[in-house]
Amino acid sequence: MTATDFLNLLIAALLLAGTYAAMAVGMTVIYGVMKIVNLAHAGFLMLGAYYVYELHERLGIFPLLGVLLAFPAFFAAGVLVHWVLGRGVPVSDTPTLASLLLMFGLWLVLQNVGYLIWGTDDRSILTPMTFATIRFGEITIPKIGLVVFLSAIVSLAALEFVLHKTWFGRSIRALIQNRYSCRIVGIPVERTARLTFGLGVAFAGTAGGLLALLYPFSPDFGRPFLLRSFVIIVLGGLESFSGVFAGALILALVETFGILFVPSSYQPAISFSLLVLALIVLPDGVAGFVAKMRSRGAA
Amino acid sequence: MSFFRPNFLHGLARSAVIVGLAAVPFVLPAPARAQTDIPVGVIMPTTGKEARPGQYQREGIELAIKQINDGGGIYIKSLKKKLPIREVFYDDGSENARSASLAERAMSSDKVIAVIGGYSTPLGEAESVMPDRYQTPWITPGAAASSIFSHGYQYTFGALSTVESLGYTTGQFLGWLADGGKLRKGLKIAMAVENTDHGKDYVNGVTKWVGQHPGYFTVAFNEKFEEHSTDFSGLLQKIKAAHADIFLSDAHLPDYVTMQRQYLQAGMFHQMVSYGARGPEADARKAMGAGVDYIFAGVWWSADLKYPQAKKFVTDYTAFAGHAPDSWYAAIAYDAMRILAQSIERAGSLDKAAIRDQLRSGDLKNSLVPGQTLKFESNGQAAYPFVIVQNKPDGKVDIVYPPDAATGPPVAPMPRP
Repeated sequence: MTATDFLNLLIAALLLAGTYAAMAVGMTVIYGVMKIVNLAHAGFLMLGAYYVYELHERLGIFPLLGVLLAFPAFFAAGVLVHWVLGRGVPVSDTPTLASLLLMFGLWLVLQNVGYLIWGTDDRSILTPMTFATIRFGEITIPKIGLVVFLSAIVSLAALEFVLHKTWFGRSIRALIQNRYSCRIVGIPVERTARLTFGLGVAFAGTAGGLLALLYPFSPDFGRPFLLRSFVIIVLGGLESFSGVFAGALILALVETFGILFVPSSYQPAISFSLLVLALIVLPDGVAGFVAKMRSRGAA
Repeated sequence: MSFFRPNFLHGLARSAVIVGLAAVPFVLPAPARAQTDIPVGVIMPTTGKEARPGQYQREGIELAIKQINDGGGIYIKSLKKKLPIREVFYDDGSENARSASLAERAMSSDKVIAVIGGYSTPLGEAESVMPDRYQTPWITPGAAASSIFSHGYQYTFGALSTVESLGYTTGQFLGWLADGGKLRKGLKIAMAVENTDHGKDYVNGVTKWVGQHPGYFTVAFNEKFEEHSTDFSGLLQKIKAAHADIFLSDAHLPDYVTMQRQYLQAGMFHQMVSYGARGPEADARKAMGAGVDYIFAGVWWSADLKYPQAKKFVTDYTAFAGHAPDSWYAAIAYDAMRILAQSIERAGSLDKAAIRDQLRSGDLKNSLVPGQTLKFESNGQAAYPFVIVQNKPDGKVDIVYPPDAATGPPVAPMPRP
């Protein structure tokens, strides 16, 4: 392999990492605060893809603008879903079977609604940017991949800003730490949880819209990304937002470079092997491992 | 209570008589009903990943049934009358397990005379174990892997030529281009095929031609991928790193669209690109626009074939389905139904073994396929030549090989975008 080939692979892995991070952060947001494993994340990814597609096809709205518009739309949808369904989920500091089944059922409903409305055919969004590339000699960067990567970075940066510079963000971080203490200090726990659910769904919808710029999609669109999201949040640390970056980067690098050593038909096995390894070796994820190292160093 | 008291025994005996009488209709053979139609099972995916081609094949079959029934049906000599065909349709949802169970149901409890089914090799492989088990003729118009026809099955028939022949014809076409000076000899080929028997056969065909014609091409890269993947970026980077001149893939429609999109997004280029039997599909053109220009494909049928029966089929199908035939799917399914109908008529009865014998020995003249004759070889699979088609700008598709069937010249090498 030449240096150019290596660089092309590295760029592909980095672009993929940005996409993966945007895809997984919605799930982390919801799990961190509410300890709900949001299996319906796949359904919202799918709906985000179709939302951007329909805005583009019917109203001629540029897909990136559609992605921007998806955020408030899916935020509202997420708040509504939580208001309707969330009350049925028992409050707990650990994931419950009830919440898992509820979200799984919601995913199936969303998927079948998708089949009813759009059928089974794959759809694609085609724009002048879809196949455009930026070349630096033999290094090739797909424009659409770069745009999606930058959009993902911007959205994650916005999330970090909200989490660290706003009262709402501090409430979220407090809820992750200790729900009961939040009540004592006057944080409106239920309202914060509802808005956080909305935030998680908003990120899912936005990520779906970004993914639709890269891949064809159908009502079953979210399934392979759901599994990867699991891997990323486990790798990164189940409640760590910064860990999502790390998890996405690790997964993207391992997937991209891993098939240099194994046939590409084994690529799905790479993701799941990483999941098993992470659960055994790094049960708290990369973020948890780094935090432990820091506290040992301080001690 | 004692179980041996007379009242209890009397009650038990009375219950047994009632149950026995109630079971009589279920155990005695049903009275013979007059045969009023010929039930033919049709198992196609009209939902799921393969829904689009499955729907096209269903339309081809239904057009044939309509035309046969409009003529009064099939003459059954033993009954001295014509009987219409009754389609018994099953949607397998593009799922292997469901496909197999529907074939079993059709042949056992639903008692169809024959089944046409199995679009795509995995679905066809799943169904193919049932025909000999239930001694019911089964014709697949959409599964071409040779593994299906290598088990010595007697009731299994395939209306598609082998995928190995497809690969071999692809090699032949590229060699012809090299002989004509359009491509240089000594070029390197990179192959990425689906991890199925279909993909394996394709590789065998291409490598067989390359092996028989040293000096023309070398296979520099050959790898399999999982069907219905969402991301081929890693594989494509490996292909890029192989620095080949020609890219050959064997993929079904969803993977063709996904891979070609990512191929273009990666800024890749090869002198010739093919996705096996996939290329001119309308869905691919819609998803990628000019991104599919100059891709070539080996197809089992093309609407541009000059035969009068092919032209008539295009007209009839367009009027029936409301759209022109997309690639080869409907035409092959249409002929599968026609050869079945012909075999039923020649058998002179609805005896499945007799129908099977006619399928084995007969042939359909005036067929739509290249060569105009559809005939099953001794292993049950058809053998007729392929044509190579190439996408041209503005949605045009030309037959470019063999030369005597060509409707336009091949463009080789492809122009850089």
